[in-house]
Amino acid sequence: MLAYVIQRVFQSAIVLLVVGLVAFSMFRFVGDPVDNMLGQERTQADIERLRTQLGLDQPFPVQYFKFLQGAAQGNFGVSYRQGRPVSDILMERAPATLELAAVSGFLAISIGIALGVFTAIRRDGFAANAIMSVSLIGVSLPTFLIGILLIYLFSVELGWLPSFGRGDTVKIGGWSTGFLTESGLKALILPSITLGLYQMTLIMRLVRSEMLEVLRQDYIRFARARGLRDRAVNFRHALKNTLVPVITVTGLQLGSIIAFAIITETVFQWPGVGLLFINAIQFVDIPVMAAYLMLISVMFVGINLIVDLLYFAIDPRLRVDRTAAH
Amino acid sequence: MADSALNTPAKERSRLRVALDSDFVYQFKKSPVAIVSAVVVLIMVFCALFAPLIAPFNPFDPASLNLMNGFSKPMEPNAFTGETFWLGTDDQGRDVFSTILYGMRISLFVGAAAVLFAMVLGITLGLIAGYVGGWVETIIMRVADVQLTFPAILVAMLIFGVAKGITPVEYRDQMAIWVLIIAIGLSDWVQFARVVRGATLVEKNKEYVQAARLIGRGSGAIMLRHILPNVLSPVLVIATISLALAIIAEATLSFLGVGAPPTQPSLGTLIRIGQGFLFSGEWWILLFPAVTLLTLALSVNLLGDWLRDALNPRLR
Amino acid sequence: MLRSAGFAAVFIATATAGVAEEFTWAGTTDPQTMDPHAVNSAPVLGFLNNVYEGLLRRGKDMRIEPALATSWEPIGAGEGWRFTLRQGVTFHDGSSFDAEDVLFSYERASDESSDTRSWFASVSEVKIVDDYTVDIMTTAPNPIFPDSISNWMMLDAGWAKANDAERPDKDNGNYATLNANGTGAFRVAVREPGLRTVLEPFDGWWDETEHNITRAEFTPIQNPATAVAALLSGDVDFINPVPIQDTARLASNPEVKVVQGIEARVIMLGFPHEAEALKYSAETSDKNPFSDVRVRQAVAHAVNVPAILQTIMRGNAEEVSQLVSPAMRGYSAPLADRPAYDPDKARALLAEAGYADGFSFGLKCPNDRYLNDEAVCQAVTGMLAQVGIKATLDAMPVQNYWPELRADNYDMYLLGWSPGTFDAEHPIRFLASTPNEEKKLGSWNFGGFSNDRVDELLPLIQSEIDDAKRQAMLDESTKILQQEVAYVPLYVEPLVWGAGANIDLTQRSDNFFILRWVTVN
Repeated sequence: MLAYVIQRVFQSAIVLLVVGLVAFSMFRFVGDPVDNMLGQERTQADIERLRTQLGLDQPFPVQYFKFLQGAAQGNFGVSYRQGRPVSDILMERAPATLELAAVSGFLAISIGIALGVFTAIRRDGFAANAIMSVSLIGVSLPTFLIGILLIYLFSVELGWLPSFGRGDTVKIGGWSTGFLTESGLKALILPSITLGLYQMTLIMRLVRSEMLEVLRQDYIRFARARGLRDRAVNFRHALKNTLVPVITVTGLQLGSIIAFAIITETVFQWPGVGLLFINAIQFVDIPVMAAYLMLISVMFVGINLIVDLLYFAIDPRLRVDRTAAH
Repeated sequence: MADSALNTPAKERSRLRVALDSDFVYQFKKSPVAIVSAVVVLIMVFCALFAPLIAPFNPFDPASLNLMNGFSKPMEPNAFTGETFWLGTDDQGRDVFSTILYGMRISLFVGAAAVLFAMVLGITLGLIAGYVGGWVETIIMRVADVQLTFPAILVAMLIFGVAKGITPVEYRDQMAIWVLIIAIGLSDWVQFARVVRGATLVEKNKEYVQAARLIGRGSGAIMLRHILPNVLSPVLVIATISLALAIIAEATLSFLGVGAPPTQPSLGTLIRIGQGFLFSGEWWILLFPAVTLLTLALSVNLLGDWLRDALNPRLR
Repeated sequence: MLRSAGFAAVFIATATAGVAEEFTWAGTTDPQTMDPHAVNSAPVLGFLNNVYEGLLRRGKDMRIEPALATSWEPIGAGEGWRFTLRQGVTFHDGSSFDAEDVLFSYERASDESSDTRSWFASVSEVKIVDDYTVDIMTTAPNPIFPDSISNWMMLDAGWAKANDAERPDKDNGNYATLNANGTGAFRVAVREPGLRTVLEPFDGWWDETEHNITRAEFTPIQNPATAVAALLSGDVDFINPVPIQDTARLASNPEVKVVQGIEARVIMLGFPHEAEALKYSAETSDKNPFSDVRVRQAVAHAVNVPAILQTIMRGNAEEVSQLVSPAMRGYSAPLADRPAYDPDKARALLAEAGYADGFSFGLKCPNDRYLNDEAVCQAVTGMLAQVGIKATLDAMPVQNYWPELRADNYDMYLLGWSPGTFDAEHPIRFLASTPNEEKKLGSWNFGGFSNDRVDELLPLIQSEIDDAKRQAMLDESTKILQQEVAYVPLYVEPLVWGAGANIDLTQRSDNFFILRWVTVN
């Protein structure tokens, strides 16, 4: 067991290094930061001096190695655009993204499970079919368009909700939260719906199919035959057994919520790390881009690692299979 | 020889019969949603294929455009030129109906090619990983992890940048399309690989595979003849849903600026252009492409949905 | 019932906002630093004009007027300029302003590490005469020097030293990157880069207060559609810019208004004058048709500028014949006509040059730099195709654009130029002079246009004190540039701001938003 854990952790570390290298080599193609850093009256000499100063004249493996050296000490360098340590900026922006992701995730899970159960139980009902069809509209339109349409409807036409930003935030320690003010809560509604819609549909469909599967199992039939009430069968037995795969998938989906936040944050001008990243691309702010990519990678790889280890712990058959394969 | 040649038509017919009588077709006939969405998809594919014949204008030919036709309202004659366009024109004076037909062609092509690419790559790697196991499997599945780590947007930007650097200038125009295909395909193959690998792990220990191995069949043959057919139905379902996803992904990438160029717009590019006119009153530039995209993606999704239920008899 | 309750709530909300006179505004870019010497870019200097001040400033009509200097006069026969400083001015932190601060600000702004260094290229020395008199000596007569330093802002020497910000540091940042201590009408209360910047009025300001703002908050919003939505829903009081296509719609909405003007920026097409051959041509890869002036003339005649202005710019821009707009000093009024749209003539010129069958080439264009830049390039592509030259359009974000142009990866390109000095000499220096690294000439002349007479005239223009003689030389340069078709100037970029109907403001043609001219009604 221990050997397997060590092996997986080791693999994850390699994955991270590769991700970093690929990300780093990508920056060459995103553009050149010096034009944004120098004004209209710059000369070729200014450009060259700045490139040397930033280390951009070195081959990217060297730049990458330097980046890794710093990152290992928790130092991601200084943002070209803001002239401040990247770690400070990320810490400032992270709460906005995490709060948005949490609310979207919560909406997606709660509504997704509820609707999933409903559509599974009333499989042939009109309402269930309608929900299934309507939910497909949600995944048949690009996120950015849904966001823009929501803004148009609820902010511009109806004037109910703010069109951009986080509203007022309250600082608790280093964490700025939008949960404690009315404008902060209002500002959360549209972006979290936009971001959560896709995951919600996904979870709903997953719950429905898992539930249908479980409902066919013998023990459920048996329970029914024993005369247990529908409600008890559906929730106490069926739902409980449905949730295991749902939780796994949801865990992985949470990671992608944060990645997908890039688009939502752009549309709603949500001041999170996703928007920071898009701005960083626009200004070729390499330290910010590198740090963001590393952060996302660590998160994904971490979740993957945990899921893998959990499987390993839960399912003994996999263990046999692995040892046989080696 | 002659014998088999004679036999073939009969065989075909009987196969067709079998197919038509099958449970699958019966299910299809029973589902109005499936029939409607299949018809819609077929019509759209037809329109896309024959766009040059159907479309009244060729929006990809800049020499044929008259800028003064710009912003014509649907069904109303243009104030300067007096020309009338069914669905109006965009800011460049392009007929919206024609751009949608041509755009759909690109969107469908990108979507289908991306899914095909993802499917071939995913199935191959999944089969190998599941069947061979060992360090080969470890490497493939780790690569899959890396792949998942990168959001599709970033993959696309990476490939876009690299491709721009290495494509000869005369191919730059088509480049964007191929970049989209590869980028979307690359972000999709993991799903196929995971499903195929999972199914392969289960199948390869079953008696019939063991038996095939015992009678001395090669690994390749076993994978293709015995394991592959058994994983095809989940693959088909994923492929259909991936097609809808790929079409949406193309739109999103175009929104972020790494998509089809505006001189050869896809549906996504049209929506990106159109959303700039949301507040200005030229609603038709956004609405018609958006509705087309919705209809297309929704129909494919509905079809995929039905397919999943139909291919999974236990759900009936 | 429900409706009227909602109405009442809205009414109360506006009423309370009215009492506090809070003002919120949004723009596409966040000023990347609060240091007025670190970065020479419009978003930074425009924003900091509200916080810092220079010796002189520009009024509502762009004319220079006294600010921290009350008067200035040339020394001798063009040896330099003497500035008399305003007395009794204090910085936001309470320390007083004097000649020491001017000298310090000169040293700081002209330092190696400063982006504003080029403003002081002609300065040989800055001398303190007394506490409130400063002499700025120049190596050659420089009649437009006062015009060129209206954005040179004064920092407090003591504050900078105390906070270890004696030199700008745009790579690692320092105290002045996030904090500000100017003499201007507003002080920075909160600075959260990329999120919001809050300004509050400075009680100790020396000038009379015109505005009635008690608190102003700036938020950057990149997506233009989101910005328009924010203005329409009343979340912000002011946005800059308004997407051109939304102008008419906003103007017809009684709750908002559109403020329009003409910016200083001229949009033009550039050519690869020096290139041996086309880079992006399918068939003409051994020669460069654009080195033939007739081909360049054909391009000028083939582009239907009025149609572009009519549709894409929706009547919000004006065509232009030279590298500066009519509002700039030194504009050549007699040369105001641009080549007429005449596709037949364009075809004839092409045939004369030996390209009767046309040729194909690559057009480079930014897609996020100028208003509707990509759409304009697309239209140009169409118009050129109609006279037989087929452009392949490659539009890209600006961060990829400049490196491509620097690497000569274009056959034709789109460029916008806004003269920092508001003078016609500026584009000649940067766009039309033969590139010369040492003399810092032609640094944006990507195509390497070169004309001996233009090069000869430039230093004469720079040092000529007599306005009439200077104008004659500018006219001559402009005429040469027109005859040679060094560039094809298309139009002057429009300036479109959007504001709530209850906001009074003044629009300046350099696109700077000056908060002290804003009244919330």
